Amino acid sequence: MDNSWLAKNTFHHSEFADLNHLVQEKQRKGLSVSLCLPTLNEEKTIAKEIVIIKSELMLRYPLVDEIVVVDSGSTDGTRKIARSYGASVYKADEILADLEKYKGKGENLWKALYITRGDIIVYLDADIKNIHHRFVYALLGPLLLFDGIKYCKAFYDRPIATGKSKIRPTGGGRVTELVIRPLFSLFFPELTQIIQPLSGEYAGYREVLEKIPFPIGYGVETSLILDIYEKWGLDVIAQVDLERRVHRNQDTKALGKMAFVILNTFANRLEKLGIVKLNKKVYYEMIQYNLSRDEYQADIFKIQGVERPPMIEIPEYKKKFKSN
Amino acid sequence: MSLTTRSGKRGRFAKVSRYAHAATLMSRRGGTPHPGNDMERMLENLPALVDQIKAVKETIIANIVLIGQIPSPTFQEKRRTQFFMERLAEAQVDECSTDGYRNPIGIIKGKSSDKPPIFLVAHLDTLFAQDVDHNYTVKKRTISGPGIIDNSVGVAVLASMPEILRRLDLTFESDIVLAGVIQSIGRGNLRGMRHLLKTWPSPIRGAVCIEGSELGRLNYYSLGMRRCEVSCNIQQPYGRVHRFRPNAILILNDFINQVLRLRLPQRPRSRVIIGKISGGLSHGEIAVDSTIGFEIQSDSDKMVKEIYNKIKDMINGISNEHEVELDLKTISNLNAAKLRFDHPLVKSADAVMKKLGLTPVSEPSETELSIFLAHRIPAVTLGITKGEDYHQENARIRIEPMFTGIAQVIGVLMAIDSGVCDG
Repeated sequence: MDNSWLAKNTFHHSEFADLNHLVQEKQRKGLSVSLCLPTLNEEKTIAKEIVIIKSELMLRYPLVDEIVVVDSGSTDGTRKIARSYGASVYKADEILADLEKYKGKGENLWKALYITRGDIIVYLDADIKNIHHRFVYALLGPLLLFDGIKYCKAFYDRPIATGKSKIRPTGGGRVTELVIRPLFSLFFPELTQIIQPLSGEYAGYREVLEKIPFPIGYGVETSLILDIYEKWGLDVIAQVDLERRVHRNQDTKALGKMAFVILNTFANRLEKLGIVKLNKKVYYEMIQYNLSRDEYQADIFKIQGVERPPMIEIPEYKKKFKSN
Repeated sequence: MSLTTRSGKRGRFAKVSRYAHAATLMSRRGGTPHPGNDMERMLENLPALVDQIKAVKETIIANIVLIGQIPSPTFQEKRRTQFFMERLAEAQVDECSTDGYRNPIGIIKGKSSDKPPIFLVAHLDTLFAQDVDHNYTVKKRTISGPGIIDNSVGVAVLASMPEILRRLDLTFESDIVLAGVIQSIGRGNLRGMRHLLKTWPSPIRGAVCIEGSELGRLNYYSLGMRRCEVSCNIQQPYGRVHRFRPNAILILNDFINQVLRLRLPQRPRSRVIIGKISGGLSHGEIAVDSTIGFEIQSDSDKMVKEIYNKIKDMINGISNEHEVELDLKTISNLNAAKLRFDHPLVKSADAVMKKLGLTPVSEPSETELSIFLAHRIPAVTLGITKGEDYHQENARIRIEPMFTGIAQVIGVLMAIDSGVCDG
């Protein structure tokens, strides 16, 4: 396997710390940048992300042109708080409202393509506890400074907050190591060079993102990589080391659900690419068991298995962007 | 003091502000300051500053979070120091450096070369260890996290000050020295501050020390103080057996009882505060070690010394009586120092606060203030905002009052710059 990509397209955030240079390149190329934060009940972390990015990368260095929150229907104060700190806030259901409505992170990211206006879109998970503006500028660095790079993924150490105000220095990335990496190794060994394919922080050019489909749920990270790889090759992808990201710890069952969605996405892609032929329809239900009053009770998690088409195929989008 | 726009010296400050009026009046007087008149004009304009400072909200909050999320326990302030310096450098502060003790300092140059500098100081260290989760939570009206009140907010305001002054188009006659000081609290014993003043080469016009809370505090005197620790460690010496095996906790209980029996004078006001205790291993074992922390406070240094000597005798007595070793250590000490209430700086600070709708509350403060006062430099300590759970991991500040707190600090800096501390 050729693993030259790892050395060539892997960066460290410190390589992009000269923000004036990034701003100059952005201006020289006449580009605009949108930051999208997909949310569902993120009132504890959303304000911090908005205020730091706004202060550092909008007011101090004009690198980001807009911050957009796309919310899946939070029942806490997420939308209100985000609005109070100056982000443009949308309910996912209200974007392209004539289409059938779905809930999921992928749905929010896909719809963000319609409501943002940037040439580059940066996606950040909204639950980052140790947010720092490097999460954004480091993802933009390769896209602004290297002409061939169109999509950039983050990787980092993943200490997890245990809820007792202590940080565990190791952990996280379990779904990557137990699910994604074995699958990549089996079918796309080149992609194993991507250190954290499931990281929720990535940025890409609109011209790329608008041409690929988006699964509506957690499978979106995997499918973006697979589709960009298939369509344009690995060289348009870069990865950048952000060093450390503290996030909420998720229990094994939650990770199991995530793995289920990702496996489903992967299976679809394998079939679509003609790599594997499934002779039997797969099920869209993940069944887990909970012990309740001495009885095992099934906890069934259903996924819709829906994928949004490339945004470029949506008439409203074409009208909005091609008329510009 | 004058309130002027920055001129050709630094083109980036060329925008003319409403405060230029005061500067014009100043220059008509041939540059001779008239503190009284200037104070009145400044006070009139002060409430309007609050909304203007609010326009810098994102910068201030970002600084609170970015600074507060860097753990900075006493003696381990290096990362916070570096970040603080980077912020000052990014804000294009005229001079950024560290002194010989590694206190980070930024100097915003004033217009007059013969006016001594004014210090704005906040300590960089906090009570929380490196491994505590320092990730802050920002909500609509509050920010919470360990060390936020003591003193991440103070440091963040210091780091934001260049940007705030720029937005307000404010300049000063004196240089404004933004000093983050290390090794301040607890065992730090204000070492950073002591070193800074000991080695500062020129006179200092006045100083404002800032603490996260409580908005409304106006500290202008500090008590004489001696902070001590007594530890009891019961070792079983070879060949000797205690007739009654002593319990280290009960030994210190005896010590507490004797302290409580001390007769302390009402004048000069004096007290002993027992603030910390630890000891023992498990419920069913006689404790072999115990430690107690206490502080002697008094208006009079002489009384602090007298009480300390009594406690020392007391400890020797207990030690002999119980045949145990008690170790008395002094962790830090301060001399009593004060400004009079009618000192022009105190009166000006009082007027500034009242103009902003605050009710000044004066209590003694054993902070950086003590060191300034000990050097006969007029100084006050001010609180930036209102907060809760002061020294808890979930300490919380309110965002809105912070803008009044910052306006108050700027008002007092302007008062000093107008000459209230001179002469």
